[in-house]
Amino acid sequence: MSLRRNMARQRNIGIVALIFASVIFILPFVYIFLMAVKTKQEAALFLFSWPQQWQFWQNLVDVVKTRNYMLLLAYFNSTVITVGAVAMLVIFGAMVGYVLQRRPSGWNRVIYGCILIGLMVPPAVVPTIWVLQGLGLFKSIYGMILIQVAYGLAFSVLLYRSFISTIPRDLDEAAIIDGATPWQVFFRVILPLLKPVTVTLIVVQSIAIFNDFTNPLYYLPGKENVTVQLTLFNFQSQFQSQFNLLFMNILLVTIPPLLVFIFFNRQIVAGMTAGAVKG
Amino acid sequence: MKRRSPYPYWFVLPAAVVFVTLFLLPTVASFWFSLTRWDLFDAEFIGWDNYRQFFREPFLVQGLVNTLIYAFVTSGAKTVLGLLLAVLLTGGIWMQGFLRSVVFFPVLVSTIGVGITFAALMHPTKGVINLGLGLVGLHGPAWLSDPALALYSVALIDIWKGVGLATLIYIAGLAAISSEYYEASRIDGATRWQQFWRVTVPLVRPATVTVVTLSLISGLRSFDVIWATTRGGPGFSSDVLASVIYKQYQAGFYGLATAGNVILFLLITIIILPLTWWFNKREIDL
Amino acid sequence: MVQSTASVILRDIRKSFGAMEVIKGIDLVVEAGEFCVFVGPSGCGKSTLLRLISGLEETTSGVIEIGGRDVTDAEPSARGIAMVFQSYALYPHLTVRDNIGFGLSLAKLPKDTIRAKVAAAAEALQLTPLLDRKPKALSGGQRQRVAIGRAIVRDPQVFLFDEPLSNLDAALRAQMRIELSDLHRKLGATMIYVTHDQVEAMTMADKIVVLNGGRIEQVGSPMELYNAPVSPFVAGFIGSPKMNLYDGKAAGEACATYGIRPEHLRLTADSPRWTGTVRHVERLGADTIVYLDVPGLGEMVVRADGEQFPRVGSSCGVAPLPGREFRFGPAA
Repeated sequence: MSLRRNMARQRNIGIVALIFASVIFILPFVYIFLMAVKTKQEAALFLFSWPQQWQFWQNLVDVVKTRNYMLLLAYFNSTVITVGAVAMLVIFGAMVGYVLQRRPSGWNRVIYGCILIGLMVPPAVVPTIWVLQGLGLFKSIYGMILIQVAYGLAFSVLLYRSFISTIPRDLDEAAIIDGATPWQVFFRVILPLLKPVTVTLIVVQSIAIFNDFTNPLYYLPGKENVTVQLTLFNFQSQFQSQFNLLFMNILLVTIPPLLVFIFFNRQIVAGMTAGAVKG
Repeated sequence: MKRRSPYPYWFVLPAAVVFVTLFLLPTVASFWFSLTRWDLFDAEFIGWDNYRQFFREPFLVQGLVNTLIYAFVTSGAKTVLGLLLAVLLTGGIWMQGFLRSVVFFPVLVSTIGVGITFAALMHPTKGVINLGLGLVGLHGPAWLSDPALALYSVALIDIWKGVGLATLIYIAGLAAISSEYYEASRIDGATRWQQFWRVTVPLVRPATVTVVTLSLISGLRSFDVIWATTRGGPGFSSDVLASVIYKQYQAGFYGLATAGNVILFLLITIIILPLTWWFNKREIDL
Repeated sequence: MVQSTASVILRDIRKSFGAMEVIKGIDLVVEAGEFCVFVGPSGCGKSTLLRLISGLEETTSGVIEIGGRDVTDAEPSARGIAMVFQSYALYPHLTVRDNIGFGLSLAKLPKDTIRAKVAAAAEALQLTPLLDRKPKALSGGQRQRVAIGRAIVRDPQVFLFDEPLSNLDAALRAQMRIELSDLHRKLGATMIYVTHDQVEAMTMADKIVVLNGGRIEQVGSPMELYNAPVSPFVAGFIGSPKMNLYDGKAAGEACATYGIRPEHLRLTADSPRWTGTVRHVERLGADTIVYLDVPGLGEMVVRADGEQFPRVGSSCGVAPLPGREFRFGPAA
């Protein structure tokens, strides 16, 4: 009887929590959607109301067409940056994590020091621009990719290092006796076994890089190089009087992470809490 | 004579090249450039002038103070709310999985998008928040345009967006606590409240360390939310170090911007390192 | 399928990890085709010695020859060896077929050759129906056979086994002991086998090497070690239940250590050498193991025949079989 009462209580708490969470965490997203499908005049009222006239397609087309299809270019650029940077983060990060875990030496302290710095220290932006200019990489997509790699490496190495420690060393040694070179041991034995953590890393880093605003703002100015977040920011002034289009843009920016979240919920949770419990 | 290791150091090389050139080198260089008047091409050594100016200009000092307020308010709120939400969301309540997702999802959304949305929601006269408060007879403030309130309003948006991560980390931390502790304390006659303070809070400490450290670092470095909502305004009332750095950079004061960067670097170091050390020391006592 | 075979010669092998010397000068000849077992307690250096032979660890000094060739500085893959690991070390992402053929594909052998060799090895080890499975879907014994298969296809001159049976349950272990002995007979290859289990050493070895503290304590055939142990250490390690070992003076002998095996003691009422109190009796059916408390000596274990059941608490006389006593070292 006490158990049953407990269940009822859990259910009541759940309902209250649900209502509360809906108001606080869901309503803003509903608001984005409602604003995005309204007409220009109705959106300007900022009200949380059902649209009197649905204008989904029209708004979508309008926002895509703005400034000569700038948004499409932005999606293309952001995709190139994200894919390029994440690919390098996977390979480079796994290679470092592998050597770091497998080969204890004095260098490891140096590497751990770099990881700590990489996780903690804010990038020195203007000197970075100076370096990028020296290399001819300022305002270039390639430079942006390498920046994202440099900033994401610490997390990537840490994630791989802890996962590699669960792969028995016997496997490397069996491969060595089978005649594998270090390169082959890594790419044919270790890397395939890292698949679960690689999926996690890809998902988490993709979202981070796709959503990044600050770094493109500094390192990737210029019309040809716009990214999705920069475009959204710039459209703020463009759409001063067209909030429906501004919110349609927000909606478009929100959908990719939503899809990723629905399909890779588990991997995201794993990546975000990696190392959190052991400290 | 000596055979090559199966774990060659050149595996580290590609990562090291990228990290050293694009992260370490600029960081080290920043110490020098912060002592110069600099236009990216010529740097003229001017000693501590940039730092002197930084601590003389009231709006720059305010940026420093704001950074601290912002970081501690957001970090504290995320830690407390995150733990409470995590406890609520591990109790086996109805729709638990869905609720976890709902709380966490804002973490993954574009900060700029969130900023613009909340700027609309927080509009003093037309915003949904104040209209809602009006319905229950309250007069809502000018969230983002009142100089006394702007910084805290932005912090509120940051908390809304970031509390999901703290919750997630706490959920993982709570899952690592063996249920036997709760059973044992129940047999010892502990109430729910006692269990929370005597079992949950001490045993979830590793997660607390992570949440506090992560949220403090990100709070001290925060830029996106502020830039998307107030751009440091009204006036300089919600400026933080990161936005000050960007403004100085835009204005062409590269040496001064870099000095701001060094100050932010030192600020993070002197807050986080002792904190980590203190956390680790307490760990041993346990 | 008969394999080529080679002798393994170790000359004054030493190995240090930092300041810790774990192998302290080992000279050993393993003849071609021999089944040689390294045995000793954990930490005696037996696994390290095997890893030095395999090339996974580098020697600090000394020379290793396999088949008359100095391989001290050769890569593991260039030594003509194959190794079976304690954990089997099967690649979890590859099928049984690809696990067995992995080394051959690294060597860029033609696909047909690989297929044929894998098929032959699988046939010999009754793995054919399992070729397309992943290691996860195999039982312990099957995994063990895949690991052996992976070794066989490389046509090694020397097989190295690192405690390969320790992850199996007792029944399977007995069966695999027989299978390994069969395999050795069939292949005729040199096999070096590391274990801490003296039963495995006694049942499978042509030659047993007893290691202690990084040195060889004794080398010999199983029966040599049983009948003529050179030290109390070897005496205590070979044979089950363990030999009873006593301080020479306490046993009334003019030696440092006096030893007598439980099976070389008999319970007797007339003119016993020692008399003790029965503390515990284990009935094994064919035998009865009797634990006695002997005043002045301590515990004494006697292996009596299965019909004898002395009562716990009763007093019992014991006498050694003549010629079966061991006396080690001069009296202190």
